Amino acid sequence: MDLFDKLKELHEEGLNQINKAKDEKTLNDVRVELVGRKGELTKILHSMREVAPENRREVGQKVNELRDLFNAQLDEAKEKIVKAVLAKKLEDEKIDVTLPGREAHLGSKHPINIILDDLESYFIGMGYRVVQGPEIETDHYCFEMMNIPKDHPARDMQATFYIDSEDLLRTQTSGDQARVLEKHDFSKGPLKMVGPGKVYRRDDDDATHSHQFMQMEGLVVDKNITMSDLKGTLEMISKHVFGQDRETRLRPSYFPFTEPSVEMDVSCFNCDGKGCPICKYTGWIEVLGAGMVHPNVLENAGIDSTVYGGFAFGVGLDRFAILKYGIDDIRDFYTNDVRFLEQFRKEER
Amino acid sequence: MLVSYNWLKDFLDLDGQDPYELAEEITRSGVEIPDRIHPMDGLKKLVVGHVLDCEGVEGTHLHLTHVDVGEDEPLQIVCGAPNVAAGEDVIVALHGARIAGNEKIKKGKIRGMESYGMICGLQEIGFSDSVVPEKYADGIYVFSEDAEVKPGQDIYEALGMDDYILNFDITPNRADTLGMEGAAYEVGAIIDQKPKVEEKVVLKEDGPAWTDSLDAKIDEKLAPKFYLRKLENVKIQDSPLWLQRRLWNAGIRPINNVVDVTNYVMLLTGQPMHAYDAKTFANGKFEVRLANKGEKLTLLNEKEVELDPNDIIITDGEKPVMMAGVMGGLNSEITSETTDVILESAIFDPALVRKAALRHANRTEASSRYEKGVNWDATEKAINMAALLLRNDANATVDEGILKATDQKREPVVVKTTASYINKVLGTKLSVDEIVKIFDRLCFKVDVDGDNLAVHVPNRRWDISIPADLVEEVGRLYGYDNLESTQPVLPETHGGYSEKEEMMRRMKAIVEGQGLMEAISYSLTSPEKATRYTKDPKDLVEVQSPLNSSRSAMRENLMTGLVDAASYNFARKQTQLALFEQGRTYDHEGGTFNEHEHLAALYSGNTFAENWQHLTQKVDFYFVKGQLTNLFAAIGIDLDKVVYKAEGIQGMHPTRTAGIYIDKQYVGMIGMVAHAVTLSDKALRGSELYGYEIDLDIIIPMLTKGVTAVPAPKFPAIQRDLSLLVDKPVTNQEIENVIESNAGKYLVDLKVIDVYEGSHIVAGKKSISYNLTFLNRKDTLTDDVVNNAMDKVVAALENDLAIKVR
Repeated sequence: MDLFDKLKELHEEGLNQINKAKDEKTLNDVRVELVGRKGELTKILHSMREVAPENRREVGQKVNELRDLFNAQLDEAKEKIVKAVLAKKLEDEKIDVTLPGREAHLGSKHPINIILDDLESYFIGMGYRVVQGPEIETDHYCFEMMNIPKDHPARDMQATFYIDSEDLLRTQTSGDQARVLEKHDFSKGPLKMVGPGKVYRRDDDDATHSHQFMQMEGLVVDKNITMSDLKGTLEMISKHVFGQDRETRLRPSYFPFTEPSVEMDVSCFNCDGKGCPICKYTGWIEVLGAGMVHPNVLENAGIDSTVYGGFAFGVGLDRFAILKYGIDDIRDFYTNDVRFLEQFRKEER
Repeated sequence: MLVSYNWLKDFLDLDGQDPYELAEEITRSGVEIPDRIHPMDGLKKLVVGHVLDCEGVEGTHLHLTHVDVGEDEPLQIVCGAPNVAAGEDVIVALHGARIAGNEKIKKGKIRGMESYGMICGLQEIGFSDSVVPEKYADGIYVFSEDAEVKPGQDIYEALGMDDYILNFDITPNRADTLGMEGAAYEVGAIIDQKPKVEEKVVLKEDGPAWTDSLDAKIDEKLAPKFYLRKLENVKIQDSPLWLQRRLWNAGIRPINNVVDVTNYVMLLTGQPMHAYDAKTFANGKFEVRLANKGEKLTLLNEKEVELDPNDIIITDGEKPVMMAGVMGGLNSEITSETTDVILESAIFDPALVRKAALRHANRTEASSRYEKGVNWDATEKAINMAALLLRNDANATVDEGILKATDQKREPVVVKTTASYINKVLGTKLSVDEIVKIFDRLCFKVDVDGDNLAVHVPNRRWDISIPADLVEEVGRLYGYDNLESTQPVLPETHGGYSEKEEMMRRMKAIVEGQGLMEAISYSLTSPEKATRYTKDPKDLVEVQSPLNSSRSAMRENLMTGLVDAASYNFARKQTQLALFEQGRTYDHEGGTFNEHEHLAALYSGNTFAENWQHLTQKVDFYFVKGQLTNLFAAIGIDLDKVVYKAEGIQGMHPTRTAGIYIDKQYVGMIGMVAHAVTLSDKALRGSELYGYEIDLDIIIPMLTKGVTAVPAPKFPAIQRDLSLLVDKPVTNQEIENVIESNAGKYLVDLKVIDVYEGSHIVAGKKSISYNLTFLNRKDTLTDDVVNNAMDKVVAALENDLAIKVR
């Protein structure tokens, strides 16, 4: 068989082997056999001596052509194999993305503290200091300084947890007012504070009563504070918490530590003022109490009430949370059922 | 106080005033009116019927009646009431009527007899049981003759059901409106009308002078004003209908004319009244004093009470006959046999009356008025009004003279203020005239001198005594709606939290980010729980009269609340818990009341929620310790300074609990809740609860503020592992101490990478492996240096702790 026949045969056989190779190793063996240094094409070149000189050029040309062809085919085959391998690997690695993920514990803030934090940051933005006072308070600060006389019902054993004749669990955060008023140096500027915290009343726990709850006290005192300022401030808080579209009204009320005293109602957010069980068919929901600081409270703290005056307000944080989230039992705040607590996660700010 | 709109018309011209709009105005300017009742609302086709004939139906309790309802033919009605009888004027619900509860009445057959309607009792048309006169309590209502009703006419007017009843929900300072006259002054001021209130009662005294016949000994401190009158030949009977309906519309049950008159006069003037059978004082003695210990009195409600030495009582010189200001005694009661009556109009010490009513759980219309104060000027008018009414309605002879046993005077106050002060506080620009006009609406006289105002406040407004009170009157009548809404114009103030509060908030945010849910527990708990989970419990803070024994002491730890929460949740099959609480603990250490800010966390269940890959672990000590370590790291505590010492703490697992120390100071504890606790709680039985509690009052002052940056290391670190064979009792802390003090200054990190105790190791030993990281921040570290350090470590371990390298 002459070299041309051999080349022709190699051509066929080579392509056949390349096509048959199904993995990288086999293909590499084929490559070595066909175009390697000791491969078939090299062997043919080595046997050039046997070719007539006039044909050598043509043989050489054919060998080169065949090498180029083999190389091209080998590369193509390799690429195919790599792709197929990758495809197989990816197929093997496939996961079901619809299966659920592993969930770690997810934290949450207590609903009363969501309300509190929101109010605090609101007041801080308006220049109020956040002040904390003691929960075990003296009769002096809780009542005496706040103009609550000795025989006032609030001072009954029935209403207050007394520890001894002078010390008690505070029934209101108002004692913080007295403490701050005593210490404040008006030469350094006006007094603007809010005082949040726990308070205690001697009530049996039921759906609407709790022997422990949270209040926030607000106090602004300077030389020219007016009741119009109080009205503007209360409207802003009420609308901030309950929505800008709420209407508000002030009603005369009574607290020993303010005069005049008022309560603020917002139009019922359930029925929009038309009347429903939530607002007891009045169209209004009471949200807070407030007033102009009673002159006796200022004088008790050593402040000249003919020069200084101001306003104070108190909000029940439990009540705000009850109203805002439609909670029907105040005990839910203190039993800490995780199924109750977890629903407030999305309310965090 | 239930204020009758129809009654108000005696004093004010309310034509064209919508009762509901009026109620809203009163709410915004004076007294809150949360409910307004129109009794005839929802009722239909209720008319007066005259019973023509009435026969019992044999074998039943029923009666077959024919009733004239003003139509051509009488109606046949079957009636089951025991008191139905021919000749009565009654309430008839016609076919198609609506009665109370929106119930519809239709004609029908009862036992085969046609019945074309229903004869009603008062309850059936909406009256409360508490106001229905006793004789109609179990039957139909029968109109009295003075009702002057005709068959077929609507019943509403005759029974006062066409009225509007405004519920004045007063604040304690506005007890002046607990009488119709006071309410009329208030409403008059709001709608700018002067009420027609009679100053004096014109009374004819036909009887003999009597005031010397009674020796009245009154303690003036207890009863500064005390008036008595005597009436003779009193005919005890029902009150006229007009008076009865005023009483029941005010929520008071008509009883008999004498009792009704005392109640009526109280409703009119706000002055509580009392009537005694004059026989009570037959021995000529009358006394007001404090009760003696051991004295007893049976009250009108037939309850016998043991009197307290702080109760004011009325006696006949010997035995108590009334608890003053609260309720009369059964032994001095007006009965159908009574002929002579002693009327009392008095003022008692408000605090003593309030306490007596509270003590005996017997708050009455009278006591609730006395405790808030009454009009000092109404005493005489009230007693004369009562006498007049009894003269008219009970044919009584009024004996001459009022026995004024005590008669302290109270001068009306004059409050001085200025128009500019009022404007300054309200933020208004009212003229002096406008302000004076408002006081005039209140019927207050004002002396004006330029800006200065002297306001004469009548005794009927005893709540007003200082300028701030006048500001309120002007503000509310000017209208809070009319005030501008402004913001205080003030120099800038710097708002914010205290530094401590800032740090507590940050720590709360961190633990919340670690997946903990915030709980809030009660501060009051049982004395036992209050000191559980507490190293070295302090003196307890206990309340004097707790609601119950499980809420009698202030907690000294937060853990107890979290364990309670765990119990509550476990009982509801919620066992996957990660809770925290930030709050205070309380003690009475050293005679002072102390409050400490703490943070506590409690875990149970798994580190991850149960999942299909089963890639989760049970929460254990080391998981919780890791969480706490992360918290410490996040707030900048040098972890090398935190030392955990195995420690016994009551309520915690004896061998799985540690005290936490920073710089040798105890800052809290970590561990597992004791079996003793979980076993004794059915819901928690068999559960493993792990938690920690730290004292923020100690930790926060240890924290430093601010950061000075150090560049990231430029030279590579070298790591070495060390595997040790150790006697079991040797702790990791002991080994780490030896390593750290011998590894030289380039040791920057030391980690435990494996702990093994088991069958592949000699009994009594365990294997611990460490990974040590060496770094020189200033130069490349050589193997020699590290080898040297390691040699020293190994030698020290062998020397100090007899530990062999494996």
